[in-house]
Amino acid sequence: KQHLVTTGESGEVRRATLEEVKERFEWLKRKRDEERSREVVDLEARIEVARE
Amino acid sequence: MAHQADAKRALDERGYTGRLIRGDNPLKLFEKAVRDRIIDSYYWKEQCFGLNAATILDRATELTFIGGTYGVAQKPTPFLCLAFKLLQIVPDKEIILFYLEQEEFKYLRALAAFYIRLAWEKDEEVYTTLEPYLSDARKLKRRTREGWALTHVDEFIDDLLIKGRLCATTLPKINPRLFLEDEDRLEPRESALGEELEELDRDDEADESEVE
Amino acid sequence: KAWDDDADNVDPEDVVDDTDGVDVDAEHAAWKLRELKRVRRDRLAIEDKEKEREEVERRRNMTAEERE
Repeated sequence: KQHLVTTGESGEVRRATLEEVKERFEWLKRKRDEERSREVVDLEARIEVARE
Repeated sequence: MAHQADAKRALDERGYTGRLIRGDNPLKLFEKAVRDRIIDSYYWKEQCFGLNAATILDRATELTFIGGTYGVAQKPTPFLCLAFKLLQIVPDKEIILFYLEQEEFKYLRALAAFYIRLAWEKDEEVYTTLEPYLSDARKLKRRTREGWALTHVDEFIDDLLIKGRLCATTLPKINPRLFLEDEDRLEPRESALGEELEELDRDDEADESEVE
Repeated sequence: KAWDDDADNVDPEDVVDDTDGVDVDAEHAAWKLRELKRVRRDRLAIEDKEKEREEVERRRNMTAEERE
């Protein structure tokens, strides 16, 4: 039974609601935006360092 | 209602009790050879397991190209695997429309459009739902059999409505737009070019008369 | 990516750039051209169908004449 749980072969997946889909979407969008602004900050920092 | 985490049970011919598309198991919209490739693939086994209509977004928003199968071994693209997953889940219409209508992730839009073309049985709805996106000019990367190609959302949508086969899949038969217009089931399409169209036509006529 | 073994000797993914807004005007102009082609294709289809209908009509009238 352990084995089944690990491989998930027994798994039933809960159906998602539209609300859950929207929430997940917003979360992923936020994550992506944060990732992008972090990239900009990193780039700017590196340019600063290169200038010195 | 829940669905199985993997597809093996759903593909068991006997006793499929899930939602039907076009009178049959949705997974059968893909040919057996393609289904086998998908189910045997690393991406399907590692990344697609146990997804529902919400968690599939984790994968779908990471997509960076569209495509069917590629290479000598006919490997399925993540895009194709996720489409297969959607056929397994059969999300509610409002969820599919959400995927399509959102602007942030163009590959998610492409995935939703592909699903709609495969799954929706009312031809008129397919045209009216997808045609607005003929004005989405964003670039799409496409994995071809031997490499890469550049296309655009509008071209992909047009392909879905015009072609018989796309992304390693034979698209279900759809009535040509002209037929539906003649039957008064569809209004003629209004191009997003709008008034510009008249200008472009006039330019053309001007060119023609110059030649004469 | 763990699942993407490039044993197929294919160009890397970045050989194609799908970044939007690199040249907004050019991209928009290219889209306009694509849309124009689609509109013309649709119009041509209507014209072809009309011609087909006219041809069928012509044949029908011809046969009637030949009958006389």
